[in-house]
Amino acid sequence: MSRFLLSLFLVLASALPSGAFAAEGDPPATARLAVAVAEAIRAAPAEAPVAVSLSGSSAELRRAFGTLLASRLAAQQLGPVVLEVPPERAEATAREQGARSLVRLTLDVEGGELVARGDVLGTWVNFWSGRTPTRPPKPAAAVAEGVEADAAVLALASVGTPSNNGTPGPGPQQKRPVRLLGAVFARLETPLAALATGDLDGDGRDEVAALTAREVFVFAADGRLLARRELEGAPATATTREPFGALAVLTGPPRLAAWSTRYAKGEVLTLDKAKGTLRAAGALDAAPLGTLERGTFVPGQTVFAPEVRLADGRAITVPAPFGAASFASPRMLFVHADGTASLYARPASAPSRLSGLGVGSALGDLDGDGAPELITTSPLLQPSPDALRVLSLTPDAPMAHEPLWQGTLPPGRALFVVTADLDGDKRREVVVGSWKPDGTSELFLLRQGAP
Amino acid sequence: MIRSALAGLVLLASAPTLAASRPRYGGELRAAHAGPPEIGEPALADTPMEAALLGLLTRPVCRVDSDGRLHPTLARELTRPVPQALRVALPSSASATAVARAWTRLSSPDAPSPYRALLYPLRGEGRQVTSSGPTLELALAFPWPDLERSLCHPALAPPPAPASGPFSAAGRGVLEAQPAWPEGRPYLDRLALTATDERGLTRLWSARQVQVELGTPPDNDTLTGAALYATYLAYSPRKVPTDFRQAFESAIDRDDLTRLFVKGPAVPMPNLLPPALLPQGPRARPAAPPMGTTRKVTLAYDAALADQRAVAERIQVKLHEQGYTVALEPQSRSALRGRQARGDFELMLSALLLPPIPGPALAVVLEAGGRRDLLGVELPPIGALADAGARDARGRERALALAPSVPLIPLYAQGLGLRAAPEVSGLVLDAQGLPVLEGAWLSPIEASGGGGRQ
Repeated sequence: MSRFLLSLFLVLASALPSGAFAAEGDPPATARLAVAVAEAIRAAPAEAPVAVSLSGSSAELRRAFGTLLASRLAAQQLGPVVLEVPPERAEATAREQGARSLVRLTLDVEGGELVARGDVLGTWVNFWSGRTPTRPPKPAAAVAEGVEADAAVLALASVGTPSNNGTPGPGPQQKRPVRLLGAVFARLETPLAALATGDLDGDGRDEVAALTAREVFVFAADGRLLARRELEGAPATATTREPFGALAVLTGPPRLAAWSTRYAKGEVLTLDKAKGTLRAAGALDAAPLGTLERGTFVPGQTVFAPEVRLADGRAITVPAPFGAASFASPRMLFVHADGTASLYARPASAPSRLSGLGVGSALGDLDGDGAPELITTSPLLQPSPDALRVLSLTPDAPMAHEPLWQGTLPPGRALFVVTADLDGDKRREVVVGSWKPDGTSELFLLRQGAP
Repeated sequence: MIRSALAGLVLLASAPTLAASRPRYGGELRAAHAGPPEIGEPALADTPMEAALLGLLTRPVCRVDSDGRLHPTLARELTRPVPQALRVALPSSASATAVARAWTRLSSPDAPSPYRALLYPLRGEGRQVTSSGPTLELALAFPWPDLERSLCHPALAPPPAPASGPFSAAGRGVLEAQPAWPEGRPYLDRLALTATDERGLTRLWSARQVQVELGTPPDNDTLTGAALYATYLAYSPRKVPTDFRQAFESAIDRDDLTRLFVKGPAVPMPNLLPPALLPQGPRARPAAPPMGTTRKVTLAYDAALADQRAVAERIQVKLHEQGYTVALEPQSRSALRGRQARGDFELMLSALLLPPIPGPALAVVLEAGGRRDLLGVELPPIGALADAGARDARGRERALALAPSVPLIPLYAQGLGLRAAPEVSGLVLDAQGLPVLEGAWLSPIEASGGGGRQ
């Protein structure tokens, strides 16, 4: 078993209760779906022993769900047997194994939900039917159940994709099609101001950090809240109506740089994972745009001034103030307030002008070819629903070509997009931060799904 | 409650707007209004129009949005270090002093205000509020979970000063955005305000010379704020016959008043609290009492309000049929408030901008009705309820129960009507029914689709 699979099981074991901040205490999505499906099977009503045949999604997700469903069915005295045969052989195998009922389910992760659809049928054959496999009048029921997916579901669903077949070696990997599956990663009680990812605990996997107007949160790869801290310091003389700020993970040693426009200065924080705390480690005078890149806020506005100090210490002036920046060395992206963006192939080169981007935009290698893609939300102020597009940067005009992938996002204003390596495979997952209509915010994780 | 009462509060300009997902900064918004060119102090500028205009220059410590969420505005933060104390952190000692002085002034003998009832739950009934640096430490005399939302009432704003509102005056009719406004800089750079009358509003709108109009009559494309500006007939029980209330109720048809004599948006108000806070159908009018000898009474009303003059004249006619000779007495608002506090009147049209919460609204009504003695009896049981819905229900229930013992006869409630051009985005009304112009921004013309005016 690969190191990844081992860590995946550890993640799943520790994901009880779920890492979703607002839903802390909820069982994982697989367990919730197992409860719902088991109830539907019992109500069919199925007769023991019950054979279960699962198809769809990844083998690991099927296996994990099958285990949990069998456990629920056993608790209901339904004598479950999970069949490890192709769906077309399930009915015959169930009869061979003496099952009186068969449950055939297809698992899928779609629109942020883990869903199971299928049917329950009887396998008992009337004596007078002879060798013909007739079916009894009952049980006979359709099953269609769904629950909100979580990070653990996405981790299971992604096992078996090319990126997860062992640890990749150095250098560019084979390009793979982009097919993203999404699930709620975490929820916050207040609107987000900034989002960042990076390895804060040195375990080779990124954490996800979220900034609100007055607090910082750090989440583990499975969505568990690792630490939170209220920001301190003197209030800013000119703040923004909407929560806004800058957040970045600094390297050597790993630290978190956070600055909300509510405050006159930013803070540098270190994560003490054992104690679940963030400790103050200094103050910031410049807004952290990236690991080493720095900028300044335009007072009172949700944009940064055009002057940017780069990682090598050089200063550049981008064509206009910008609301979001993303760095995937040597490329740099700055998204302006009018939905245009300046894309630098190299820091010294002239920027190319893109249009039609949302402020939630980032650069990251999702297809494993060693070159970053452009990931962007809708440029509309109130899209319904918002959508995420993944565009190749290979052509001269990425916005003029069909996206490599696009999909709708849950309701809300998707204002923040970052990429992260949550499983240590050197390929990036996408985290989208959205403001919800009820004043809360949500982190939505998208990762490669099983083909 | 607030949600249902403010169903009309919508985000304007729903046309898709290209703005990289965030509002745009900058630009000048041209607005016209049918309000007075000069506006007095916050405790007296309580018509929806005056409160909306004055709110550009001065704000209370917070505002409540249409979903009932509280947002600090002039204050940086409102916190409860312990349940029985509220700490209001303001941006400077000067603003804390100004707020404390404004609140204390509500209780002063020379300018008594019915809005002082909003501070009644404070220790000392809010007569002496003092600041400590940029902070106000408010101790409660009894549990009152609605204190924060009560403090968002426009009458509790300090007098206009350079940093007391989201905009500041920058010449005749021009207001500049305050970059250091604690809630955050307005999206607009400036507002150009034109004071006019109803005909002027129509002309300016048709000619596309303005992008926002305040004080428009109800129409299909008009946004209407919650009707919380409640007008009552106050009477002095010692100076009018005991059957006066019955005579008045039998003579006056609230639907007629609202339809024919009051400029909209307005609704009949059969109960002590407006329908936005206490929805209930019209009550049956009582029979007229037997006619006695002719009585002479004086009806004072607000000389600055044309609506009140028209209503006063109607009351004059209708009460004449009941054997009352009514002399009309136009007065300044400050004079009316003084006389009302002293009980120095026979009849008076009394209008109040009620907070959008039943409990605090009932407190203001009791104070205005001369029943301050009931505040200490009625408010603590309301405040003792932890659940907001239960408090609201109790406030409504007490308003119904107390109505016969309060010498105020409810007449009608008004809201503010406004309309905005398609390029104006993000303009919403708060729970008080007032526009939040600092949250509006101008969309690019090509994105907003242009046109759209009728």
